[in-house]
Amino acid sequence: MKVGIISFAHLHADAYADALKQIPYVEFAGIYDEDADRGKAKAEQFGVHHFTSLEEMLATDIGAVIICSANADHCYYTLKAAEAKKHVLVEKPIATNVEDANKMIDACKKNNVKLQVAFPVRYNPSMIEAKKIVESGKLGRILAIKGTNNGSMPGGWFVDPEKAGGGAVMDHTVHVVDIIRWMLGLEFEEVYAEYDTLIYDIPTDDCGMLTMELTGNIFATLDTSWNRPPSYPTWGGVTLTLVGTSGVLEMDAYGQYYQVFRNDLDKSLWAPFGGNTDLYLVKDFVDACIQDKPVKVKGEDGLRALEVALAAYESGRRKQPVKIEEIR
Amino acid sequence: MGSTHAEAYRVIENAELVAVADLVPERAQAIASRTGATIRSAAEIIKDPSIDVIDVCVPTPLHRDFVVAAAEAGKHVFCEKPLARTLEEAEEMLEACKKAGVKLGVGHVVRFFPEYIDAYDRVHRGEIGEVATVRTTRGGFPLPTAWKDWYANYEWSGGLVLDMIIHDFDYLRWLLGPVERVFAKSTFGRDFNRLEYALVTLKFKSGAIAHVEGSWVNSGGFHTRFEIAGTKGLMDYDSRKANPINLTVNTTGGMPGVPVPTRPWVESPYTTEIKNFIDALQGKEGKIVDGNEGYESLRIALAALESIETGKAVSL
Repeated sequence: MKVGIISFAHLHADAYADALKQIPYVEFAGIYDEDADRGKAKAEQFGVHHFTSLEEMLATDIGAVIICSANADHCYYTLKAAEAKKHVLVEKPIATNVEDANKMIDACKKNNVKLQVAFPVRYNPSMIEAKKIVESGKLGRILAIKGTNNGSMPGGWFVDPEKAGGGAVMDHTVHVVDIIRWMLGLEFEEVYAEYDTLIYDIPTDDCGMLTMELTGNIFATLDTSWNRPPSYPTWGGVTLTLVGTSGVLEMDAYGQYYQVFRNDLDKSLWAPFGGNTDLYLVKDFVDACIQDKPVKVKGEDGLRALEVALAAYESGRRKQPVKIEEIR
Repeated sequence: MGSTHAEAYRVIENAELVAVADLVPERAQAIASRTGATIRSAAEIIKDPSIDVIDVCVPTPLHRDFVVAAAEAGKHVFCEKPLARTLEEAEEMLEACKKAGVKLGVGHVVRFFPEYIDAYDRVHRGEIGEVATVRTTRGGFPLPTAWKDWYANYEWSGGLVLDMIIHDFDYLRWLLGPVERVFAKSTFGRDFNRLEYALVTLKFKSGAIAHVEGSWVNSGGFHTRFEIAGTKGLMDYDSRKANPINLTVNTTGGMPGVPVPTRPWVESPYTTEIKNFIDALQGKEGKIVDGNEGYESLRIALAALESIETGKAVSL
């Protein structure tokens, strides 16, 4: 199957491009980017065709596109791709508002193409192992959940409220919400959030602390802060602690690393060896398209995760908890 | 905690433990034989004119009666945290001590732990800039059992929020100043009360946001953590990773030994805490976490309990 990438605005595009090159039965057919210079440079870097117009790319016989634009543009590109009968793998969050997300889901259904949201953490071997432990019943009934998705401040369009739809809360709520839904089969009902701009001089929030009520009388917290300084040994991470009646499970999705100290750098590094989740994600999506199987992370899953981030922002405005159904 | 404080009085040079009272005779006996103190009733001790300081380590709901009686007898008082179960009780205690002109110290011992002091100093030297977020962890062991199982009685102990993570509330208030808003969740009232687990978010007037985790659920034994992120850096502490000595003893049955982490102190923070209190009473340089400070930290814990009960954010 031939696959194209639309936009390299999101830095994950590089990892997906690498993945496409590694899957033997996939042809990385080319790149379209609204920033033509970036598109040309990336096309050269990966040795693929540079499409100067979206229409030109979508008129070819590619079977699917991977969309890595700014969050607010996900909807536009997804609708275009769906109309051209291309399957879509869209970077998270699915969109910046519920209306756009619904349009994307509907368009892909109507055009009978697949829509997957890029939640690579579901493909993390540690998380898959943890899910087995949960399903074994060793933890008993789950009582409470503590999650973190901290990172460094990404800058660029990520801190443009229009293009990103928010800041650290928008960027880092969705992964852990999706993991909790996937691992435990729970849904989110209510969100309280404290967030603020405390570290950088940017127009969005850079720190966020969410507290959530879930189905099953379970509560959870999630730290979304972009508080990893440039001197930190890695970009950030995803952790999850499950407290059950019979046990506690502590997970660190990127905990498989060793430390590297190099004289040519002014900080130590954590060298990860826990697997290439971006590759597993892209391969699974492509396989679903080729074999016409359901995708692992549907548009609706992306929407459920987005709703939590949107409820968090509403909670911040009210300074009180907000029910998810209020923002639907 | 009484026996820990007794050990502190035994070790320091400028105070002498002369008498102990305990409802459990064996416990009083154990302390008496270790320290040379006599065993007497609390009432007798409080009215003994030769005694200068009363150290109160009774369960929380009894703090007021003992502290007020000691103050009225003209004794300085060191009271284990939390200061009281309710603000009304705390106010009576502060009033009694003020009226009697005696000093009241509260056992917020985390302020005397070297790693917490070091982090405080680094923050106040500006090493990581302005503090943005803090995460703390305390617990990881099953609910303690004690007299009449009082820790498990919410009306008495206030659960782990009032009894244990008030340590972190107090430390954070010391580090960051006053708290503006509290939102908290706990397993209390939802499920087994003996497995309490609570997560509390504090918004400070400084802008900083803190997340406080407290656990009376076994996750490998008692441990504490803090992560302090600022505009210019980040500090990360995990007591489970800061074990300088780990002894594993092979057992004869071929079973693997259990490693027991050891924490070597130059001086126990509990001793440092008591020494500071006594030094301050004697006019020397010594840090007291006084009744007003204990009161402010109690307010945060009670706001967290209110938030847990109502499901709403509580402004202070």
